[in-house]
Order: sequence, then C-alpha cells, then structure tokens
Amino acid sequence: MPIKVLAPGVISQIAAGEVIENPASVVKELVENSLDAGASQIKVEVQGGGIELIGVVDDGAGISAAEVELAFQRHATSKITDVDDLSSTSTLGFRGEALSSIAAAAEVELYTQAASEVVGSRIRLSQGKVVRQESRSRPRGTTVTMRWLFRHLPARLKFLKSASREESRIVHLLTQYALAFPEVKFRLLVDQHLNFETTGDGSLRGVVACLYGREMAQKMLVIEGEGTTPALSGLLSPPSLTRSNRSYISIFVNRRWVRSPLLIKATEVAYRGLLMEGRHPIAVINLALPSADVDVNVHPAKAQVRFRDEQMLFSMVQESLRAVLSQVPIATEKTVPFTTSSRQGESSWELHDREASVIAPLPTIELPVLRVLGQLSNTYIIAEGPDGLYLVDQHAAHERIRYERILAQWKRQEVEVQGLLSPVTVELNPRQEATLKSNRELLVQFGFSLEPFGSRSYLMRAVPVLIANTNVVEAITTLLDNLAAREDPVPWQEKIARTLACHSAIRGGQQLSREEMGELIRQLERAEQPRTCPHGRPTMIHLTSHQIEKEFGRIV
Amino acid sequence: MKLSCLQENLSKGLNIVGRSVATRSTLPITQNVLLAAEQSQLKLVTTNLEMATTCWIGAKVEQEGAITIPARLLTDFVNSLPNDLIEITLPPNSHMLEFNSGRIRAHMNGIDAEDFPPTPQINNGIITHIEADALRQGITQVVFAAATEESRPVLAGINTEFENEQLNLVAADGYRLALHKMPLASTIEQQYTVIIPARTLNELNHLLGNQQDPVEITINEQRSQVLFRLKNVEIVSQLIQGSFPDYSQVIPKSYTTRAVVDITEFMRVAKMSSVFARNANGIIRLLITPGADLNAGKITISAQAEEIGDNVSEVDALVDGEEAKIAFNVKYLSDVLSSIPQSQIALEISTPSSPGVIRPIGVDNYVHVIMPMFVQW
Repeated sequence: MPIKVLAPGVISQIAAGEVIENPASVVKELVENSLDAGASQIKVEVQGGGIELIGVVDDGAGISAAEVELAFQRHATSKITDVDDLSSTSTLGFRGEALSSIAAAAEVELYTQAASEVVGSRIRLSQGKVVRQESRSRPRGTTVTMRWLFRHLPARLKFLKSASREESRIVHLLTQYALAFPEVKFRLLVDQHLNFETTGDGSLRGVVACLYGREMAQKMLVIEGEGTTPALSGLLSPPSLTRSNRSYISIFVNRRWVRSPLLIKATEVAYRGLLMEGRHPIAVINLALPSADVDVNVHPAKAQVRFRDEQMLFSMVQESLRAVLSQVPIATEKTVPFTTSSRQGESSWELHDREASVIAPLPTIELPVLRVLGQLSNTYIIAEGPDGLYLVDQHAAHERIRYERILAQWKRQEVEVQGLLSPVTVELNPRQEATLKSNRELLVQFGFSLEPFGSRSYLMRAVPVLIANTNVVEAITTLLDNLAAREDPVPWQEKIARTLACHSAIRGGQQLSREEMGELIRQLERAEQPRTCPHGRPTMIHLTSHQIEKEFGRIV
Repeated sequence: MKLSCLQENLSKGLNIVGRSVATRSTLPITQNVLLAAEQSQLKLVTTNLEMATTCWIGAKVEQEGAITIPARLLTDFVNSLPNDLIEITLPPNSHMLEFNSGRIRAHMNGIDAEDFPPTPQINNGIITHIEADALRQGITQVVFAAATEESRPVLAGINTEFENEQLNLVAADGYRLALHKMPLASTIEQQYTVIIPARTLNELNHLLGNQQDPVEITINEQRSQVLFRLKNVEIVSQLIQGSFPDYSQVIPKSYTTRAVVDITEFMRVAKMSSVFARNANGIIRLLITPGADLNAGKITISAQAEEIGDNVSEVDALVDGEEAKIAFNVKYLSDVLSSIPQSQIALEISTPSSPGVIRPIGVDNYVHVIMPMFVQW
C-alpha cells in the first residue's frame, strides 16, 4: 500500500478519539467549557447512558455569532494564544479540541448567545459539517446538545460499556465537578429524572450533603490549609465513616479533578491504622499549586497530572490529613447495630447552623476511665464508663498496646531481648530466606538474632522479650511471610511491630482474671490510639447511656 | 450396686480424683467420675485421657457394680453432706444412682460404666521406689521451668532420668533450666530416661502432701506410660515421646563472678522490683560489686518502667571475682528463689549475655540456669 496523507475527515476522527472516548468525556469537555465560560448554573441532561443524548445548558459568557462556526474548528480556542500561556493557564480547557472532537463523533447542536449581543445563534453539525445555521434569541449562555455518539464510528461504539455503566461514569464525573465548584449550581437529569442538584451557594459541606447525604456531611472534618504552600483545603471523613472503595476520594488540583494515584495513596496512608482492612475514606481535597509546579498537559483528557516535587507533596498531604484525623474521638461515632442515633431529624437540618458545631475544636483521643465489669465469651471485656457501656475486644486492645510499645522501644533503640538457652533451629523457604537477608539489620533491631546454619536453616539465639513465651519459630516465619507480602504499603518497621504485636497479644477465647482485665484497660487508656488495633479494627464498641435508656424505653 | 461408706472418706477420695477430671473435652464422659464397688472398697476413677487417677476408699459393699456420675455434681453434693454414713444404691438396669444419708435423699442420673475410658493397666516394666519427701522437693524445684507453650512438646515435660541409685529431674523452657538430683529408695539395674508431662507431676505433687510411704514408680515396657502408686491412690499418665535436648551443654562450667546471698533478703528485694518490672517486660538489672577494704560486697537490683518510675535496692553479698552485671526476667528469678528451701544461694555469672547459674548453698543436688535479657546498660 502506498503511503499517503490522510483526508482531513479521517484525521479529525482519529484525533477525536483521543479526547472523546466515551459519553463521560463528552460531558467532561462540555462542562469544562461551561465552567471556563464563568457559568453559575450548569444543567446536564443525559439519556441512554449518554449515547443517545447529552445536553449541557449553562448561563456562561456565550459565544458571539461571529465565532460560532470557528469554535468547531480544531485547535480553535479562546483560552490561550501562545506557548507561554500553557504554563500559566488557569482555565480547565485550553487545547481547542473539545467541540471539534465532539462534532466529529456525533451530531451536535450549539445554541448560544453572548452577553454583548442582541441575538443568539444556533448551529447544527453532522459528522463535523455544518448542516444548518440560524440566528435566534435566547438568554445569555450556551446550550450544547449531542445526539447519537459514535453513530458513524461503529468501531468505537462497540467499545462502549453498557448504557448503565456509561451513565454511572457520567454521574461520578459530574459529582466531582460539583465538589470542585461549590459555587456553581449543578443539576443532573438522567433519563428525565433528577439525579442530583447542588445549591451553588459556595459551601463544600452543602455540596457533600446534596451528593452523599446530610448525615455524612455533618460528620466530615474540615481540612484547613492555613496558608501552607501548596494550600490544602476540603473535607475529610472521620475514621468511623468509610466506604468499600476508593471512588469517594476526590482530589482536585487547582480545581481540576485529577486521578492521582500518588495523592490517593497519601490520603490512605494518613488513615493507616484507623480503618479496617478493605475500607476507604471519603475525602474531598483541594490543592492549590502554582501552575508552574504542575503539568496537566500530559494527556488530552487532562485527568493525569505531573507534579514537580512529588515526594514533598506526598508527605505534605499525608501529614496535613493525619493532623486533622488525630483530633477525632473515634468510638463514640461508632453506631451500635441495634439502634440508630436519635440525634438526626430532631430539627430541620440547617447547614450553616451546624457548621459551627462541626468545626469546633474536637478533643484529642482519650479514653474515659473505665471500670471493668466482666468478660463476655472469654473475648470481650465489659466495662463501664462515665457515659455508658464499653465492650473491649481483648485481643485488639492488647495488640494496640503491644504495637505502640514495640514501636516506641524500637524508636528509642531499646528493644528488650531475651536470650535463648540453646539456639533454636529455624528452617526457611527460599522466599523467607530472601526476605531475611534483605531485612537482617531491621530484624536485629527488633531483637531477633539469627545466624546462618547450613542451607536455608538458621540458628535463633535471641528473641524479642515480648514474644518469648510464644511459639518463636512460628513468630519469625510469620513475620518473614508478612514482610514479603507486597500489596501492603506499610513501612517495614510497622509491619514487624504489627506482626509481633499480633503474635504476642492475648487471644480471644482466653479467660482473664479481673486484675488482668483491669491492667489491660489501664494500659489501653495510656495508648496513643486506643480506639483501633494496628490493623484498623475497632478495639471497642461504646453503648451510650442514652442509647441504653432509649432501648429500655426509659426515655423516648 | 449397693454399698455404704463414710461421707468424710468419700469426700476426700473425690477431691483426690477431682484433679484429673477433664475440664474441656470432646468426650463428655471424661467429666464424670467412675464409681465401682469392688470387694470391700469403693473405687473412684477420673481421667482426662492424658492422665488417670484412681483412689480406693473403705466401704461396706453389699452388691458389686459400677456407674459414672458427673464429677462436679457428685463432689459438690457429697461435700455439703454432714459427716455421716452414706448409703449408695443403684437399682438393677438403671442409671439413677440413689443416695441416702440420715434424712437426706438424692438421685443422680449417670452414664453406663462400660462407656468410661479404661484405665491402662501397668503391671510389669521398670519398678522403683522413691521417698515421697524427696520427690516432692524435686518436683517443686523443676516443674515451674517447663514450657507452657506447646510448640515443642518435649519441653512441656520433665526429663526423668533413672540412673542406678539416682533420679534426675530436668525441666527447660528455652530460657531457663532446672536440674534436681535425688536418691532412689530402691536401685535400678540400668539407665532409663522418660519424659513425664509437667502437668502430671504437678498433680502428683499435690497428692504427695500427706503421703508417708515411699512412692512406687512403674514404667511400662513400651515406655509409653508411667504409674505412680501412692497409698490408696494411683496415677497413670502418658509419657511424652521424643528426646529431650542435651542439657549438659547448657550448664556453664565456669564463672567470673560468684555472689553468695541470703535468699529471704534477695527474694524480698526482687519482689519489690517486680512492682516496677512488671511494666517493663519483667526486666530487673543486677549489678554485682565485690567488697573492697571495709565495704562488704553487694548486689544492686534495679528496675525501671518507662513513664512509670524506677527503684534501686541493694543486698549484701559475699562476692568472689570481678564486678559484673546481668539482666533477668524477674519472674524467672523469683520462681527459682521461692523453690529453694535452703537459706542461701550462690549466683554465678560471667558476661551480661551468658547464662547465669543459681545453686543452693549447702547441698549440691540442684542447679538452675537462667538466660539473661539483653538490655541497654
């Protein structure tokens, strides 16, 4: 086949594919245009998963009649003029590809009127060509309606997911914009039903209330950037409020929604040890960076960003969020299964009234003084506090105490070691041996003394005191296995401390005397994070006096 | 089955056998006690499948027979009866045991004696005898050093060595070792080593309290079971299979510092330190200073718990050698000190990381080795 230059139509269809992958990307481009046009209200309507119809109506600046046709040409944009603008752009879009790409992929109708003009214009395009154009008056703003996405591109149509999948992508996407722009009133109609609507009053908590529910919005903690660079703001869920996936972590850089694995990880790391395995936080995080420090022009869809100093950003985000979380009392937020909190719905919910009480400084994590009443199922300690009943999981609680002690000793380099009378032989598998070799130094710091003794067998001469009265061979092999497990992003020393704590902590099912239980509770009271075990499971459940009285019908 | 016996005897017998009733078992009948009327005796048997205890009490048997009754129920009932004659009757083809004592009557539902696990019969094998007092002291001085953790089963037992005229008991849990030697009352022809569960010896120790006569020890020919015969009581136990680690290597042959110290004083100070040490993984530090000029030698004992506090105390000691220091788990130290009946001990150490040895002064039948803790000094 001879080489030849492609026809313009083919080029634009190929290029369109980079920007327009699915209905959600059409919504993204159109909504960004609306936001860049300074809209204060944006209405999005979707039908058939966005494949049949996408309509975006805004009250933005509009396009003047003279520029309407130009808007559909490739690389036509009002947002930048030369290369230097790229590094300082503050608008969401700037490539000038959106409208032309959409027009190449579907039938589009644009109906707009600029503020300065007395009459608006309406233009309809099919397969990138103008089929109809007329002058028509309307209120200021722009309406873009797209019909039958990829109708002429069956190859692309084939790769779309089902209508419901595409629809949920759009909902998720628009949710992100609503969170990023609390001052804009968003309204999403899916198949002519209202999906959500925000107030556009500028309150992020208000947006969260509209999107995720009022109860959740009430509980969210405020991230305050206090003039740090980069400035950080937003809302963060307390550890008692979790979701089973990461899609509730929304990160915005300079108000642009980004999918940054780096920052998502920083968020999750901030919650380490506070959440149960497999649970994820809800977070809305706004980062304001000088535009020179961030490069959004990685991919036409602009969802990926590059940062100049990733390491600094990671630790800054993680530490700031951790600081917010460290002020939360946790277990009181715990809902008890058989009853619901009575506080809700007691009055009509007023966003701004609540704001004050939610942001008010929260007490540091501290347990009240507990009095041991007894043991349940040889596993839970029943204790009484000033405000009701506490059920303490003895294993989780002891694990937490041990964990903090082990890490503290390690940090002070005062790990206590018990020598063995005669060395114990430990046989390792190849993977364990490799882990041992690469972590020898750290294991010594934690009190293990292992000497090579033939192929893959080692002589253990000393062990950490805390595990001395357990099966020490099992302890070291479990530890090596846990260290080798890669999926867990926790630092080595925390993994070691976690394993040793778990191994040496008293088990569920073990009968404890009153004195032992009292001692355990006293030590837990002194722990830094007494409410969760190192794996993030709660150490206790709190039944408030109020809940108990309510259950017994003493109060209504 | 029909018999009568004194409440006092039955109560004593039940308390003796009660110690080997299974507490948690998948075989419910092991929570019962077997009552068997034989000739002029009532035989009581309990078992937890590792060990079985049999006790005979005097009774007037009118009709032989056997039944098993929940041990707890029977013991609690009999203990609450006045010291009087109890008539016990089991009607033929019935499981309902009837008790009559004065104006008291009771019925207890039992399980057929046929279902009770048979007690192993040990008639031949190696037989020897030992004085009850010597055995009791030996068990007391070693049994606490056996492992409670069961990853190495042999360490949960007491290595028992019969050597001609001598019996050695050895226990070790990986961090400490206790060795007690005692004479046998009857010599044995050959050397013989078995591992007896520490639990069995603990129970035996309780029963040795009111035993005057020598205890007869029989090990069966397969070396799988041991029988202790006391007056009116027999204990049969499984032996732990396997070989005990060679402990002779573990006992240090030399020392650089030896301190002789009064046990009561040492014990008192150790107990005091444990108040702090229990919040610091049980660590106490010993500094042994030899006497110089007019100053007596001493051991300085200190314990410190992070964020809680610390204490330091001194005891006089006759120190031979150079200044030395070592850290122990206070539990290990007080375990051994409280098991020694003599008034003084010698503590022999060399470096902070090599084992310390404790020997009673005046006898040479006991050695205790404790592995130190490696701490910051």
